This record gives sequence, C-alpha cells and structure tokens, in this order.
Amino acid sequence: MSGLKGKDHGRPGYWRSLEALAGSESYRRHLDAEFLESVPETVPEVSRRRFLQVMSASIALATISGCRWPEEQIVPFGERPSGYVPGGKTHFASAFELDGIANGLLVTSQDGRPVKVEGNPQHPTSGGAADVFAQASLLGLYDPDRSRTPLRRSDGQTQPVAWKDFGTASGQWKAAIGSGRKFAVLSRTTSSPSVQLLRDELRSTYGDLEWVTYAPVFDEAGEMRAHLDLEAARIIVTLDSDLLVEHPNAVSNARQFTAGRRLDRPHMNRLYAFEPGYSATGTMADHRIPMAARDIPALLASLAAALFGGHGLQPPSGLRWLEAWRHHPTQSQTIDAITRDLLANQGHGLLVAGPRQPREVHELCQVLNQALGNTGHTVVYEESSPDPSTRPNLEALSRLVARMSSGEIEHLLILGANPVYDAPADLDFGTALEQVPNSVHLGGYDDETARACSWHLPMAHALESWDLSRAFDGTLTAVQPLIAPLYAGKTAAELLSLYADPAPRSAYQITKDTFHQLAGGTGPAPEKDAGFNERWHHFLHEGFLANSTTVPAESASGNAPRRLPGEAESPLGPENLELVLAPDRKVHDGRFANNAWLQELPDALSKLTWDNAALVAPALAEELSVSHGDVVTLGFHGREITLPVYVMPGQAHYSVSVSFGYGRTAAGRVGDGIGQNAYRLRTTERPWGGPGLTLTPTGDTYPLAITQDHHAIDERGAEERERRAGGLVRQGTLAEYREHPNFAEHLGTHHPPLVSMWSERESQGHRWGMAIDLNRCNGCNACIVACQSENNIPVVGKEQVANGREMHWLRLDRYFRGDPADPSVAQQPMACSHCELAPCEQVCPVAATLHNDEGLNVMVYNRCVGTRYCSNNCPTKVRRFNFFNYQKELTTTEKMAFNPEVTVRSRGVMEKCTFCVQRIELARIEAKNAGRAVRDGDVVPACAQTCPAGAIVFGDLNDPQSRVAQAAADQRAYAVLAELNIKPRTVYLAQIRNPNSALAAEHGGQSDAGAHGGHGAQDQGDHH
Amino acid sequence: MGLTSARETTSGANHHIFPRWTNRLREASALMVIGGLVYAIVLLTLLFGPQSSAIGYAPEQPVPYSHALHAGDLGLDCRYCHTTVTSESHAALPPAGTCMNCHRMVRTDSEKLALVRESAATGVPVPWVRVHDLPDFVFFNHSAHVTAGVGCESCHGRVDRMEVVRQVEELTMGWCLDCHRDPDLHLRPSEAVTVMNWNAPEDPLVLGQRLRQEHDVTPSTDCSTCHR
Repeated sequence: MSGLKGKDHGRPGYWRSLEALAGSESYRRHLDAEFLESVPETVPEVSRRRFLQVMSASIALATISGCRWPEEQIVPFGERPSGYVPGGKTHFASAFELDGIANGLLVTSQDGRPVKVEGNPQHPTSGGAADVFAQASLLGLYDPDRSRTPLRRSDGQTQPVAWKDFGTASGQWKAAIGSGRKFAVLSRTTSSPSVQLLRDELRSTYGDLEWVTYAPVFDEAGEMRAHLDLEAARIIVTLDSDLLVEHPNAVSNARQFTAGRRLDRPHMNRLYAFEPGYSATGTMADHRIPMAARDIPALLASLAAALFGGHGLQPPSGLRWLEAWRHHPTQSQTIDAITRDLLANQGHGLLVAGPRQPREVHELCQVLNQALGNTGHTVVYEESSPDPSTRPNLEALSRLVARMSSGEIEHLLILGANPVYDAPADLDFGTALEQVPNSVHLGGYDDETARACSWHLPMAHALESWDLSRAFDGTLTAVQPLIAPLYAGKTAAELLSLYADPAPRSAYQITKDTFHQLAGGTGPAPEKDAGFNERWHHFLHEGFLANSTTVPAESASGNAPRRLPGEAESPLGPENLELVLAPDRKVHDGRFANNAWLQELPDALSKLTWDNAALVAPALAEELSVSHGDVVTLGFHGREITLPVYVMPGQAHYSVSVSFGYGRTAAGRVGDGIGQNAYRLRTTERPWGGPGLTLTPTGDTYPLAITQDHHAIDERGAEERERRAGGLVRQGTLAEYREHPNFAEHLGTHHPPLVSMWSERESQGHRWGMAIDLNRCNGCNACIVACQSENNIPVVGKEQVANGREMHWLRLDRYFRGDPADPSVAQQPMACSHCELAPCEQVCPVAATLHNDEGLNVMVYNRCVGTRYCSNNCPTKVRRFNFFNYQKELTTTEKMAFNPEVTVRSRGVMEKCTFCVQRIELARIEAKNAGRAVRDGDVVPACAQTCPAGAIVFGDLNDPQSRVAQAAADQRAYAVLAELNIKPRTVYLAQIRNPNSALAAEHGGQSDAGAHGGHGAQDQGDHH
Repeated sequence: MGLTSARETTSGANHHIFPRWTNRLREASALMVIGGLVYAIVLLTLLFGPQSSAIGYAPEQPVPYSHALHAGDLGLDCRYCHTTVTSESHAALPPAGTCMNCHRMVRTDSEKLALVRESAATGVPVPWVRVHDLPDFVFFNHSAHVTAGVGCESCHGRVDRMEVVRQVEELTMGWCLDCHRDPDLHLRPSEAVTVMNWNAPEDPLVLGQRLRQEHDVTPSTDCSTCHR
C-alpha cells in the first residue's frame, strides 16, 4: 500500500485497481505478458491412470471410426406433435422466481430442451431483460449434481427410495398429525398463489399447523412494499439501497432509471447514493457518499430535519424529535444541497432505503416522500398481506426452532429452503432439527439441510415446473415447464397437495385450478368451459395476466417513527469496525453456489471470482497493515470466521463488507468449499451485521482470482496509462455536455492524420456495428452471462482464472477514478469491436481470422493453429485462447445446455466475440425466405437482448435509419483507440454525470473537465 | 592431462571412428527422405481427397424404404415427407405417422413395415441411419437453398432412382464453394426445386442468371456463412 502515498490523490486520473495505481509487481506481470509466464502447461490433477484411460479411449475411437466418422442416427417421432419443428426453435413464456419475486422469461427450446433464457419482452417488469440468476438457471437445470431420487435417511444410512414409498409414509403420518399441533412447514419465500391456497387448505385441516417462511435475503421494510417509478423521479436519494442490481425489481428499475437519464429530455435525473460498500447504484450516482450503514439513520434524520426546518414543509405530528437534528454535527453541505434539490423538485423526488436498513429508516423515508409530494408520483406504497407467515420472519423462525428443540414438533416439512446452512448461526438449526423425528426436505440438491433430514425429496427446477408466481408489481406470472422433470422432481405445490388433498393433484392441475380460483371460480378448473380454456391458453401464451398488478391506486400511509435506532452507540474505529453482511451478487444467498457460470462471473466491482472476501477500505487496510489476500480473522460478538482481505476503493472507512452464499459443504462439485460461510457471523439479533467487528491478521495469505488486471490494454508508463484511460472511457458532466455536446471527441489522444498501411474494404450491403452507451451501463453483468450461454463459452475454474485464462468474450472494464477513499467508477463493456483494419488479421499466419463481406472480423476455428499472435496484437485484448479442452470433461447432461447453433471449440484455438454471427445468419435466412430485406432490429446479439438498461444497440451502419447508425452519429459517440487507425465497428457513447454544482468542489472527479481543461483550451482554435 | 594424451594417441594412430561402409548412409538417408515425402503425399491425398469422401455411402436402413418406388414410380413430392425443408434448417425425416397415412390402407401387413407400424403405435422412433452427414462445425440450412432455387437433385442426386439412399456428391467444402462461387447452373424456378431429372426450358446458363437476379441469390463465400 505504500506506493499509494506517493500518489497525488487530487488528480482525477483513471485506474483499474489499487495495484495498477501503485504500479505493483503483480500488475506489471499482467501488463508485460499477455499470457502469463511460468504457468505450468499441464492439465492439473491428471493422474497417470486417467491419462492411460484417455489414451486408450481415443485409440479405440480411432480404430472404430476408421475412414468415416461414427454412424449417426435420425430418430423421428412416431407421431410428431402439431407445430413441432425438428431442429427448430420454440419460445415459451415462463418465469423464474427469486425470493418470491417472479421475473417473466421467454425461454428458447430446441429439440425439446431449453437452450437459452431471456426476458419476456411483453412482461411488465421484465421488458425483455433477465438478470444473471434467471439466465444462469439454465445451467442449473442441467447440473449433474442435482438430486435425482427421494432419499430415506435413518441411523446414519442413506437409501434411495421411490416417491411412492414416501407417499405410503406420509399417508401414515397424515392420520397421526391430528390437529396439526406437532406439524410445521418451513417454506422458502414464494409468491405462488397455489402454495398460498394449499396452505389455507392445510390450515383448515390442521388448525394448529405452524407455517414459517424463511429466506436469508429479505427486506426489513416488512409488509410495506415501495413501488418506484424511477423514470418520473428527477432527484433520487438512495440510502444503502442498490436499486439497479440487488433490488428484487432491479431489471425494471434499471430500465426506468435509464429512461430518466436520457439526454434528449429536458430533465436528466440526479442520483445521490449513500452506501457502505460500492454497489451498481453507487457507480451510477452523481454523488456517492461512502458511509457506514449504521450512520445512515442519523444522516436521514439530519436530512429530514433540514427539510422540515423552515422550508414550509410541515412535519407530521410525532416527528418533534427531529428538532434535535436541526443543528446536529451530521449536517453538511451535502445535506443542504440535497435538501434544496428535493424541495425544488417536489413531486419528482424520491428517497429509498435499502433492505438492510432498520424499519424506522423506511418509515421516515415514507413520511418524507409523503411530505414532499413524491408519493403517488415517484413511489406508491403497497401494504401487503398482514399474515406474517408469508414473509421471512426471524422471530417466527426462532420460535419454530425453540419448539423443534423442545421436541414439540414431530413432522417438519421444509419446502425448498436450506436453513441448516443459511439460518442465523445462533439458532443452530441443525441441532434443533435432530429433535424432529420426521423431517422432510424438498429441494433441488441433497444439500446441508437434506442431509440432516430423515427424508429428502427432489424438487423440480423452475424450467421443469408448472406454477404461478407474482412479479414485483403483483402481476400474475406463469411458470411453464420447458422439459419434463429430468430427475423425478416435484414442485412445492405438488408436495403440499399430497398432504392437503384427498387425491394428490399434478402440478399442472394445481396451477390450472389456482388460475381458475383466482378469477373467482371455486373447485377444480372446468374441463369443457371454452371461455375458461381460452383465457387459460392466452395466459400461458403471454406468460402473464394483463392488468393483474397489485399496486394500489392510492398509496398506503405509513407510520412516523418514534425514535431512531442505534443513536447512542460507540464510535467506529479500527477496534470497533462495522460488519456489513449482504447477499452476493453472484451466488445470492448460496443457492447458486453450484452454478459455474455464476462462480466464474467477475463481480462487477471487485472483479473477484470463485471466492468471497472481506472488503476493507484502502485507509483501513493501511491502518491495520493488511493488503489483498492477507487472511484475517473476523470476530463479531463472540463468533468468528477467517477470510482473505480485499482492499476495495470507495468502501466506507470502518465498514467491512462480507457477502454470504459461500463456504457451502454440500452444494455439489462446483460449489463445495468455495469461499467462507459468512452465515456463521449472522445472528437473529444482528442479521445484517453492525458495529462490534474486529479484524485480526492471521499472517497467512490466500490467492484470490481477480480479473481486474487481466487483459490490460498496453499502456506505456503510468502517465501514459492515465492519459489513455481518459480516452478509453470518456465522461463529462451535463453542464459540459450542454455547452459542448461533442466534448467526447476531444478527450481521445490527439494524433496526426491517419494513413492506412492496408487497403481498406468498403462493406457493401450490411455493415454491422454496435454502439454501447456508457451512460446506461450499470455493470449488472447480465450481458456476460447471456454471452456465455449463447456462445457456449467454457468455464475454466479458479486456478485458470488466476492465470489470466478466463474465456468470457465480453468483459466489463471497471475504472476507478480519483481518490481511492472515494473514487467514482466507470464501467465499460469490452468485446471484440470488429475493427475494419483489424491488427489481429494482419499477424495471423494461417488466415484463421479475417474479414467477411459485411465487415465482421470472423474467427475460423478449424484454421487456427494457436500461435496467439492475434491476441498479442489485439489492442483491446478481447481474444481468448483455449489452453485446454475445457468442454471435454462435461457430462452429457451439462452438454445439453449448449447452443446447437454455435460450434463448441476445442483446445488450442483462439476465440472471441462474433457479434453473434449465428443470429445474423439466421435473421438473413429468415428474411430471405420471407422475401424481404433484413430490417433494423431483426438481429439482436445476446448481450444487447438482455441488457435491462438498453445500453447496447446493434445493427446495420449502412442504414442511416437504424438505431445503431443514429447512436453512432450521436455527438457523444467515440471510438476506443481510434488513434491506432483500427476503425472499430463498436462505438461508445460517453457517460454524462449530473452533479450538483453546489457540491462540485466537494465531490470532484466526476468528469474529465478537470483533467482536460488545459488541453481543451489549447485545442480551442482547432475544434470549437 | 589424461584427456590430452588420449587424443594424441588416437589421432596419432590415424584410426577412423566409423567404419567405411557408413559413408553409404548419406545416400540411403536421402532416399529415405524422398521416399517419406512421396509416402506422405500419397497418404495425405488419399486421406483428404475426394476418393476418401463418402461418395457411395449407402448404409442399410432399419426399414427398406425405397425412394425409387415412392418418389420415382409413385411420384410423391419430396416435401410430402420432408415437410420442413422449405422453412427450416433441417429437412426433417417424417414421423411414422406420415407413412401410416397411406399404409393404414396399403400393404397393412407387410413384414418390411413392421417397424413403422410399431413406431406409429408406440412412439418409439425408427432409428434411421444418417446418410448425408456434415461435420458438426458446419451449419447448413435447407430452407436458404430451397428459397434460392437449388434443386434437391443438385446435392442428393437422382433420389427417385435409389432403392437405398446413397451419397452421390462429395459434400466437401471445396464442392460447396464451387456452387457458391458460380451457382447459375444449379438454379431453378421455385416450382421445379423438387423435380427430379429436370430439364431447363431454355439455356440453363441464361435461365440461371435471370433467376439469380430475380431471387436475389447472392451466395456468400465468407467463412462465417457456414462456420460459426
């Protein structure tokens, strides 16, 4: 860290990591050698035996195949289903539910197997976008570690059994359960109306049934749900709230937020973000203030006091206590500026508190939104069901655990939850579970909880299930199966039906009956009612029921909080740190731990893969003399875990962020033993952490696989690096933009007139190009997963990521800027830009990479001999080399996730973004068959398709009406490294921030004006 | 010191290290190199030449279906069974149900049709053996070629005369490119695509050029057209 001290923090230079800023040895390693040296060139963990197996197998194969490849069979149906096209694509509307919130999906099926998950364009919250979890659920479907059969565990013995064995056993219990006093159900959060109806049915049978809902991720706001309209909001203040990625309605939020930031509208919104650790919302903020989570209530109180203090806003009764905050030391220039902004935009402002903030903060936000007239315009509050058993509830869970421990519960049904792993540590759920004689676990995996239960039943994957769910806005959404359950899985509703119904119903029947009952019907769905069947089929076709939102016309009113939590706690310091527990952006609460796509996805901010870490601020790291990879012991109120340190710029000084979801012991082959289990620090009293954390170095170090320094674009010297970074990712303020809309053009490297060494080709016909609007990209990573799924991109594992060999065709370059304590962040999606004068093509000795007629830089895998010259010569470092045959070891089930339209690459070939050439070719053929030209919008690459913010636009640059041509003609458009005369087909649109001029001095570093002022002046004569 | 003296002794005695006959090895090795080259060339030519491609490949099918009878004598159109050929990538093999459309009435107790009847009844597929098998890294689309007016015959030959379907063309990349570079001779009016032994009503070259204009046939020779 010492290298940092010499740096001039005042300068708004760009840097990708603290190592890069300090010019450390490890960063140099990545800069100098594109392919890291001294990496053992052997397949890890290949034993002699395995080698012989492989050899003998390949020799046998060679003998069999002889001169011709193996005989292939074609197996047509006996009777082909109507409308089924062999080898063709079919799309089904479905949904993926996470923590009770459904996101509408459109899933592509080819030859009877789902191969791609996308958002449902018509669905009100999805709008065509899907987050990383929904998209990666495809890989989860084909996970060979999924539970395959019901298991019976007794006396330390595990025995595979059949569903009918369980049916017999449950039949006997049903008789014994009686009034239900000894019967409890622990369900994961779900909004399935079927489950709710069955719960009511069960309750009517077993009056004393205890029903508890639990998931580790929940909102402290409880039953009060805030429906936001970010498009209408001009001033947004977020308090420890990540609206754009972590929020359950993030996909919709991102779309609305971007719409409110459009430059062609009179008002561009302004975002103030207060948060302890960097989030996607923080990266988009015009003013981001790092702040300990427990200081946020005080900040809000100060803001409230300032708003109500003499500005004509009447404080509601019960808020007298705010008087004390009028002249509190927390008052600042920032609060003053926000106050002015909010008052000037009454009805167009918005205050949002994050899920981990105490209830009082949510209540105060609601009061302020009401007083400012925002309620009804930018936010509507919905008071959901008062029944607490439908929401995650720690008190109810504690009560259940107490009853389990005392032996009161004899039958426990666990529906999809994994409490042995993820319940707060003080409950010791595992021990309590031992006291329950009949415990039944329904889950996708034979996980930690399954192994502690007497029965485990395989649960159907979402893509195998019939169900109903509700989107964030309440829209009734269909969950449709794309494939019959691969492994005898059943849905939660099906299992409940076994208990509640005289004759168990199928998931399809339950779903249909529920749909019928929601429309006011009673009993089972009618078989022959034509009207009903039409409504039902229309619902399944659309994937949702139009106008079924539960957002009330009139906002629910809230309570004025009586006090603020945590007012009188001891100050934070190196001995009293704050622990910030949060779900992980990749594995969420741990349920996706066995999903290799997600494990290998670099975190948007830390760029960490395959691990979790303790994120500490650079200043704190210096105070405690720890750095990247140092293993520390985190002590928190008598509990401790050890974790490696990750020094995270922009982290609040004394806040240490740790994500849970790691340290699984029974996740499967991919997820076991990855990272450390942060639930061991979680208690019912402090579910999200808080003050009282100590951090003690153990003296050990641990290698973290971080991708941030990989594929560093060659930059000579630190000065040059900073200067060029300003040309790669260009930013300005709204004021600058209004004054000089073409400012971005001038931020690049100035160069003499460019002369080409090569003959240039004009693309006749289509000239495919891409435009990426940096003003929209929030770094949600959805595009990377979309690309991985669409293009059969292999997962390489932690070791190979550490060697710089990750295979993602599309990466997010994250640039920090300014002071490491409070930097701003710019995200830049970077993939092959299909340069018209591509340097890669000029060095390939075998013409394996070359241009096609439409200007795509194509990669011919069969020609590639693996010299890797192209990658060395690629200025944007977007080419990836298959060092091993990563896909060979995949099981047959995993291979079903492959996109049949794209070649699976083998070892020794280079690959990179193709602009989804398979989609271009299919669109061309479809248009030709229909006798028309390819229209704008016919070709949508996977990344552009899924982007919730619409940051990526693709199309024909030769068509002046196309969206991409218009974006490329935008005044903010610029090409990266244009000075090399590579003529990239991908252009970027500069990011515009909208800082408050009153705070410009306080929070600088948002624009390039400071860095470039002198330069701009110098160029005045030439350009203005 | 010992080393030096040893060398002196050897050179002093004027001994040869290798016997005289080894001088012949030089010529022998030259011969071996030339022979090896010839061998390699012959081997590679045989391996990758058209002779080793699968022309004539006619595997035995589980059901002795005769195209000569159905498409030839009875005159069934190709699209009666291969329904998806005009709109999709694959020219799908028909389900057994299609066969049963006629064979419910015709030859209802034929031994040869046992598998088909069984498939239609039980849904267990007839395991047909693929004849025209392109490598997995080639993405061929039937509909694109049918729309352009390439006759079935151009690639599959006179199927109407085949008792057992066999491959008649190389189906190699060079063979594909020949047509992609100069498709005129293989273009037909849309209605003649499935006609066997079709004769152009005028000079095929002139017709081909005109059809190419009319149908906007612009076959690409870019790698990405077929390899993705």
